[in-house]
Amino acid sequence: MSRLREFFSRINGPQTFGSGPRFWIPLGVLLLIAYVFPLFSDDYTIGNVAYFFTWLFMAAGLCLMWGYGGTLSFGQTAFFGIGGYTYGIVTLNFGADNGVTIYALVASVLLGAIVATLLGYFLFYGRINGVFLGIVTLAVSILLERFMAQTAGPQWRIGEARLNGFNGMNGMPALTIPWPGGDISLPAGAGFYYVILSILLIVYFGIRILVNSRFGNILVAIRENPQRAEMLGYDVRRFQLGAFVIGSALASLSGVFYTCWGQYITPSSMSLTSAALPIVWVAIGGRGDITASLLGALLTLAVFQTLTVNGAQYALIMMGVLLLVNVLTAPEGLILQLFRFRFKLSPRSQ
Amino acid sequence: MTRLSLITALSGILISTSLAADPPIKIGVLEDQSGDFALATICKVHGIQLAADEINAKGGIAGRPIQLIIYDTQSDNTRYQEFMRRVLQKDKADVVFAGFSSASREAYRPIVDQLHGLCFYNNQYEGGVCDANMIVTGAVPEQQFSTLIPWMMEKYGKKVYTIAANYNFGQISAEWVRNIVKQNGGEMVGEEFIPLGVSQFSQTIKNIQAAKPDFVVTLLVGTAQSSYYEQARAGGLELPMASSVNVGQGYEHKRFKPPTLANMYVTTNYIEEIDTPESKDFVKRWRAKFPNEPYINQEGENSYLAVYLYKEMVEKANGSTKIPDIRKAIATGGISFDAPEGKVTIDPKSQHMSHTIYLAKVNDDHSISFPKIWPDIKPYWLGEAGADLTKSNPHTQYTPSDPPKKAE
Amino acid sequence: MDIASAIFGFLYQIGDAAAFLVLASAGLAVVFGMMGVINMAHGEFIMFGAYGTAMAVRAGLPLPLAIAAGSLATGVIGVIIERLVICRLYGRPLDTIVATWGISLIFSQGTLILLGSSFPGAGTPLGSFTVGAYSYSWYRLILMLAAIVLLVGLWLLVNRTRFGILARATIQMPQMAEALGVKTRVVYSLTFGLGAALAGLTGGLYAPTMTMVPTMGSTFILEAFVTVVVGGADVFLGTAPAAGALGITKAIFTSWQGQLTGQIALLVAVILVIRLLPRGLSGWILKERS
Repeated sequence: MSRLREFFSRINGPQTFGSGPRFWIPLGVLLLIAYVFPLFSDDYTIGNVAYFFTWLFMAAGLCLMWGYGGTLSFGQTAFFGIGGYTYGIVTLNFGADNGVTIYALVASVLLGAIVATLLGYFLFYGRINGVFLGIVTLAVSILLERFMAQTAGPQWRIGEARLNGFNGMNGMPALTIPWPGGDISLPAGAGFYYVILSILLIVYFGIRILVNSRFGNILVAIRENPQRAEMLGYDVRRFQLGAFVIGSALASLSGVFYTCWGQYITPSSMSLTSAALPIVWVAIGGRGDITASLLGALLTLAVFQTLTVNGAQYALIMMGVLLLVNVLTAPEGLILQLFRFRFKLSPRSQ
Repeated sequence: MTRLSLITALSGILISTSLAADPPIKIGVLEDQSGDFALATICKVHGIQLAADEINAKGGIAGRPIQLIIYDTQSDNTRYQEFMRRVLQKDKADVVFAGFSSASREAYRPIVDQLHGLCFYNNQYEGGVCDANMIVTGAVPEQQFSTLIPWMMEKYGKKVYTIAANYNFGQISAEWVRNIVKQNGGEMVGEEFIPLGVSQFSQTIKNIQAAKPDFVVTLLVGTAQSSYYEQARAGGLELPMASSVNVGQGYEHKRFKPPTLANMYVTTNYIEEIDTPESKDFVKRWRAKFPNEPYINQEGENSYLAVYLYKEMVEKANGSTKIPDIRKAIATGGISFDAPEGKVTIDPKSQHMSHTIYLAKVNDDHSISFPKIWPDIKPYWLGEAGADLTKSNPHTQYTPSDPPKKAE
Repeated sequence: MDIASAIFGFLYQIGDAAAFLVLASAGLAVVFGMMGVINMAHGEFIMFGAYGTAMAVRAGLPLPLAIAAGSLATGVIGVIIERLVICRLYGRPLDTIVATWGISLIFSQGTLILLGSSFPGAGTPLGSFTVGAYSYSWYRLILMLAAIVLLVGLWLLVNRTRFGILARATIQMPQMAEALGVKTRVVYSLTFGLGAALAGLTGGLYAPTMTMVPTMGSTFILEAFVTVVVGGADVFLGTAPAAGALGITKAIFTSWQGQLTGQIALLVAVILVIRLLPRGLSGWILKERS
């Protein structure tokens, strides 16, 4: 019993912001609103917020790898693509009955984790770090994109699922929950929204516990000073690999949810532009803290969309200005800056 | 409140409700006004705006004014998904005109199907979309290649080299070219597929010279790939070229210095140089409203006539914008419009459109002449391959190597 | 003379591919290699150089002067950007990604709004010549020549001129340089401006051969980044051999199996080289020397 209590006490800790009621009560209110608002809202807004949520897993994974681990990976979109395409291939071949979509989700995340292990082994045990790692992961993303974009011909199929090249794969079923008396299909709508919100919360609390545990503390120590961590006897590569695998698997989860939401996945999701976006979201929120990253990513997605809807041709310019302002005035991240100001303390002094 | 003001208020309400008895017909427009594709698509929005203004000036569709809801999709597939959902669920548009690249169309098509929307795709593409919620006014390969390739082979010779963009549109178009060349007794001396975004062609130019074709079929997509023409000319390659994509979409003949595109033949359903009286009048009206338009391309004209076709459909369906009524109107086979290119008709089996195909030749000074015109070429492939939307709705896209199964 | 013409053809393709890599990456190498700034707006600087050159040609300048004008104008824009934004971001390479990404959005969309979706091109000068059974463009040879001149010129600038020595000193040990009286702010601005001007030069050189649209820089940016990173931290030691090695790889695979294979081979080569030489080519060369 006390082990369980110790496990859950890690929700608060030195690596994450907020530990007292001043943090948890507002957050609790926010979560309550998140659960209740579909009752007062329309289909479009629910589907749109669910859409934003699909990207947050990728942001969470990047925050873990980059914010806590110091590893900047441009490869989140590669794993996003792997997750999405695997889900599509499995469900197009085996249908949606009997919970196949759930198995497909798990399989996609697992495949992402396996590929991440192989790639990570190649990178970290080859002592590749810093910007070199960024470029190699970027090269992998673009390699996948270029390769997939030309798989338009009929010979490019895995079972029943045509990869369909640049036009992308569509027609896969939405997430379907097996239920006695009739399977519940969850296209973008309230049902899907609740599923994704709940899983998002599990991931959020899971990461909080992870980074406040021994693993997280060592990861941060490696970020601060890898040589010192090595001198103290920790195998730096193993921890970096661990963070990379978890972070990339989360990106695959993002890919699966995106594919479930839109019934579509395309190689453009793995392009240079797409690869830079998660970095921008997390940077605006504040990569040093998981709460800041997620809230920042959500805010950025919403603001960018609103600008595009209302700003016509000037939307992209305003986004650029926003990024500049953010970097120059709040380099650690807008949300993180806000937290610091509100809680009037730095993260280490709890 | 005095009795007089009460009466005034009541009559005010009565008048305003009677005026509000004709709610507008909402047309959603999802086009790329920024990003990589903006060059070819900005004028699509203008075409729709011109048509909407003209129709509203004459009383609207079945007496209701058109209201345009325009979103900039930034050449980004995810924006298509976001905004298609928005325009159908939030804005409650009656019909949507959307998409340039086939990827964007395939991205939004599941959403259109799921939300039971109606969408016009006004772009040339690789053909094969068989979906009752989609109406396609763009030209398809059987319209562009079955006219172009035999003509080129007759004029220049039977040895053909194809360079195509390496994705669905390029690969399927190249397949069409290959089949037609074979049917006409010709020989493919080479085929090269270029990834999107590539702008350097020295090796390709060398390969073409080695193969010694009689003409080159160029199916290059995107502004980076169109750099080929400049480099080919500079590299001394002066073979005649045939294309279904360039000039008609990206007006390369206006942007490149002559004689880069000399001896290029393009089959297009419309370009602004067409000198029929209808076309000249259309260009005049367009330029009166949009004096700074760089060029009026085939997608602009498709978008313009699509609004009129929708008007036809709604009016033939007795003013209803509900999809089953509109589909019944289409199934009669009589939805037509006298467009700037000529008369166009919607084919009920595929919900694609017939076209007048113009063969445009780019001269040495980059002026255009029209050696041949094929009126009323129907989009026959889907129907001949066994698809029939009046009977079944497969919600899918077929390709020549993945055709609908023939009905038993 | 068949073998000679085949060899010429082969060398031409390699030279063409390598020249592209050198010209694409030179500006980025100065900015990243010397200053540690990851410039996501590199493609937009190339675009500015191209647009500037095309505008100068339309105004009547002959092509070489037009290219110089375009390059200079881009350099000035670079200095302005440095003063306004970049100077606050030294030592924070990952923040430069976000900032320069924002700048790139502003520049490309701004150009679209102000100048429209395309700009008339300048036309490739000089025509073609034949060797054996093939004809080649003279201008592509000039591009190869320009790449070589650029590398030599850059090396001379950094190693043999006063500015170069000041720049290296400032970047390696800014406090020391400042203590010795060097105006470090000016040196930083000028160095960034140099990187921008080099990108503008690339844009100007390629402008006659390419379509001029606001997003034209995007075709250079991936190759530029991978070449710079494969080259490693020391720009002169690394960029030239990196461009050479990657150029040869790309040319061979393109001529064997087509453009897609060439691109994939390039990316695979990048991954392999970094795996084998985690500090890039220059890191390996420096290690071998000592």
